[in-house]
Amino acid sequence: MKSPRMFIIAALAVLVAGGAFSAVKITELRSETSPLVTVRIILRAGSINDPKGKEGLNALTASLIEQGGTQQLSYADVVAKLYPWAANITSRADQEITSFTGNVHRDHLRDFYRLFADLVLSPRFDSSDFARVKDLGINYLQNNLRGTDDEGLGKQALNAFMFEGHPYGTTEFGTVQGLTSITLDDVKAYYRKMYTQANLWVGLAGGYPADFASTVLADFGRIPEGTAAAVTLPAPPPVEGMELMVVQKPARAYAVSMGYPISVTRKDREYYALMVANSYFGEHRTFNGVLMNSLRGDRGMNYGDYSYIEKFTGGTAGNAFPNLNTPLRQQYFSIWLRPMPPEQAHFAIRNAIFELRRLVSDGLTEQQFEETRKFVVNYSKLWAATMDRRLGYLMDSEFYGTDYYIDRIEKELKTLTVADVNAAVKKYLNAENLKIAVVVDEGKGQEFFDAVANNAPSPITYEAPRPQKILDEDAIIKTLPLNINRAKSRVVPARDLFEK
Amino acid sequence: MFRYASLILITLAAALQLPAQGDAAKVFPYTINQVTLDNGLKIVSIPFDSPGIIAYYTVVRTGSRNEVEPGKSGFAHFFEHMMFRGTDKYSKDDFNKLLKSIGADNNANTSDDRTVYHTLASADALETIMDMESDRFMNLKYSEEDFKTEAGAILGEYNKNYSSPFMTIFEKLREAAYEGHTYKHTTMGFLRDIKDMPQQYQYSLEFFDRWYRPENCVVLVVGDFDQAKLVALAKQYYGPWKRGTYTLDVPVDPPQTEEKLINLPWKAKTLPIVSIGYHGPAFSDETRDMPAMDLLSQVVFSETSELFRKLVIEEQLVEFVQGSEGDSRDPGLFTIFTRVKDPKNIELVRSEIEKAITEAKEKPVSAERLQAIKSHLKYQFAMGLDNPDAVAANISHYIQLTGDPESVNRVYRLYDQITPDDIMSVAKKYFNATNRTTVILTQEESSQ
Repeated sequence: MKSPRMFIIAALAVLVAGGAFSAVKITELRSETSPLVTVRIILRAGSINDPKGKEGLNALTASLIEQGGTQQLSYADVVAKLYPWAANITSRADQEITSFTGNVHRDHLRDFYRLFADLVLSPRFDSSDFARVKDLGINYLQNNLRGTDDEGLGKQALNAFMFEGHPYGTTEFGTVQGLTSITLDDVKAYYRKMYTQANLWVGLAGGYPADFASTVLADFGRIPEGTAAAVTLPAPPPVEGMELMVVQKPARAYAVSMGYPISVTRKDREYYALMVANSYFGEHRTFNGVLMNSLRGDRGMNYGDYSYIEKFTGGTAGNAFPNLNTPLRQQYFSIWLRPMPPEQAHFAIRNAIFELRRLVSDGLTEQQFEETRKFVVNYSKLWAATMDRRLGYLMDSEFYGTDYYIDRIEKELKTLTVADVNAAVKKYLNAENLKIAVVVDEGKGQEFFDAVANNAPSPITYEAPRPQKILDEDAIIKTLPLNINRAKSRVVPARDLFEK
Repeated sequence: MFRYASLILITLAAALQLPAQGDAAKVFPYTINQVTLDNGLKIVSIPFDSPGIIAYYTVVRTGSRNEVEPGKSGFAHFFEHMMFRGTDKYSKDDFNKLLKSIGADNNANTSDDRTVYHTLASADALETIMDMESDRFMNLKYSEEDFKTEAGAILGEYNKNYSSPFMTIFEKLREAAYEGHTYKHTTMGFLRDIKDMPQQYQYSLEFFDRWYRPENCVVLVVGDFDQAKLVALAKQYYGPWKRGTYTLDVPVDPPQTEEKLINLPWKAKTLPIVSIGYHGPAFSDETRDMPAMDLLSQVVFSETSELFRKLVIEEQLVEFVQGSEGDSRDPGLFTIFTRVKDPKNIELVRSEIEKAITEAKEKPVSAERLQAIKSHLKYQFAMGLDNPDAVAANISHYIQLTGDPESVNRVYRLYDQITPDDIMSVAKKYFNATNRTTVILTQEESSQ
């Protein structure tokens, strides 16, 4: 990925500055010509570090840093300072890590950086700001997620279902009761414990001066050394048969997410074999995937149908490429079926599982493999179109302990064979043991649950004649048996999710 | 052994110089080439330092604004979907296979005034893309069965969008605010029209015949290309495309004469949302009303406004408040949105918004504040030009409005010229009660 005008320095920087010793890691991606600069500060702690009963503490602390003030400036003052530069600072609290990203034109880098560093290193922690961001967090869970975002609700419900009792099992933003119980003193104590040299990591990208990194290291060298916030993860709970969670809320259409944990990540060679299979099966927001062509293209059931071999949130609008800075040590495979008319939801679940079974049993042909491999190598280059995105992928690669992701994709795919891909499919994917989360209309949950659990027929009808090949498949799909494990399945009202 | 197309990583553009305040220099720092073919098709090209990569856009200056016939709302968007259903030369599957073979990111979207088809791909795929794109724009062919199947995907898109109350608010606001103009309906269209789409196959052929014509389209290429080769290819592939004859007559609304208020109950869990629309000006790169409205939006509703400070930061009555008017070919709606934390404060919040607007009419913005706003707009624009796709998206916005990418430079020159008096003047002209439509969405009593 080297470009003549770019310098990459990814090292554990050790700098003596003003008598301070910095063990803060810094990742650099400098360009001599770029007019823009990105500063990315990562905290190696996330929702998995939330204390029991205080779920949401990590996210609330990050929000209060991002949307609060510094010791010298109130939040309103900070906003006013950033405004003429059109500079922005955002935060993203995830399960394993938390990131703060600042973007600025290089004309204003020094002043901007001073402000950004002060926000993170000497936050104001004002009680009024605390009340505001706490309200935002609770309202997000209580109203937005439960009420007005059925696709997001389906994905979060699947996550909670897959990782029940596991540190990944709450949302990145915590729970309603957890957030409610958090005090400003809790935030201050969490900040003191976590925001230390042992846990912070800085990334720089773009047109910043060559000596800029030393300024950053000097600043971060002044904060306490601290201890690493490592959390040991247990194995994800086993999936036994098909486990169904039906979530009820007023809904005009039904959103479906299904999946299971898998034990490969970007650090593993087999991940890249699985990546080719997944692109063939369900590449996000393209018409390449089997799922998209089967459910939308051939049957017109909904807007889109995709699959993933790692965490993928958002992506509801635009051409979203893989997320930045949401790495997990334990990943999962998932299928996302966008909302469909209620009468087609049961068929759609069967249709997706029918295609998954076919993938697992038949794998890819040599031609499908070659076409998909070529696509993924080229397409993945588009994901890193800006310095900011490249830095994000680079830091994620360091999290996983692997080479720069986009380069690794090309390197691994060049030597893959169709046998590698099909072996990875057989090893990591299955269509028999999976968790299914469905968002259905209020009052319809039990009826839907019973239809699926009892393997009731789910015929589909069309506005126009369809080819015989599709009708033949439909005849199988409409009665495809799903082995629902009733003991591990349930109907829940949305109001009970993410509560505690 | 296999070969990969020569996709090379994008590097950032050469240093971007911002013009000084008041400078008449162009805000858009790159060269814009424009060539018009004999059939009226304009080819706009912008060299950009992205070795091995091009963004290829086709801007069709047709959107939901063109849906003048009753029962046809949402059709421009539906037609966008049909454009992926193939031709005699490239079937739907062939089209997708070709895209896959070049590793392209390819999609489309529709709004009030245009439909945009966009591809981000390897520069050496230019001819392949032009072949595929020109073919479907001239020779689209699909069966009635495929047409009916795609209607299901449209309903699916409506379904996915409408779990958010904002879509319904937007729909109701427009429906109430406009009388006969086609901005009365959203780009998605009314649900009743979407449900009737499977019956509209014949109309879809008519729609293609009317609007997918060279004089109504602009091809935009940004990135790594050879200009002479680009023009030669354009002549070769688009040359046979024939001009159309249809002329559009969009109804003109009379001025609104009385305030409108809609209370909208919502079944699912939600905080109250207040939306207020004022009829505003059309986009113009020659007159000052629209640029002045954009600056007014910053004065009254940006995160640095007094209103935001009071309602969001200090009194914390709302989660957010925002207000702006999107650029549109015909007069649009300046729309204010706020989400109120407690239903009992809805009226208080409405009155605070009204007070802020009154102040904008009476009190000139300070020179320092105006300078900060103008600086914000320029840096915001500059920071959005960091890759060829973003540049193409930005420029296609101005192409849809006027057909001329240079509009971007003209409108930013106008921003520089706006005075405090201009802002007060548009506040007085457009922000009047009789010109206002309000939608208040609240959760139904019986909801969970």
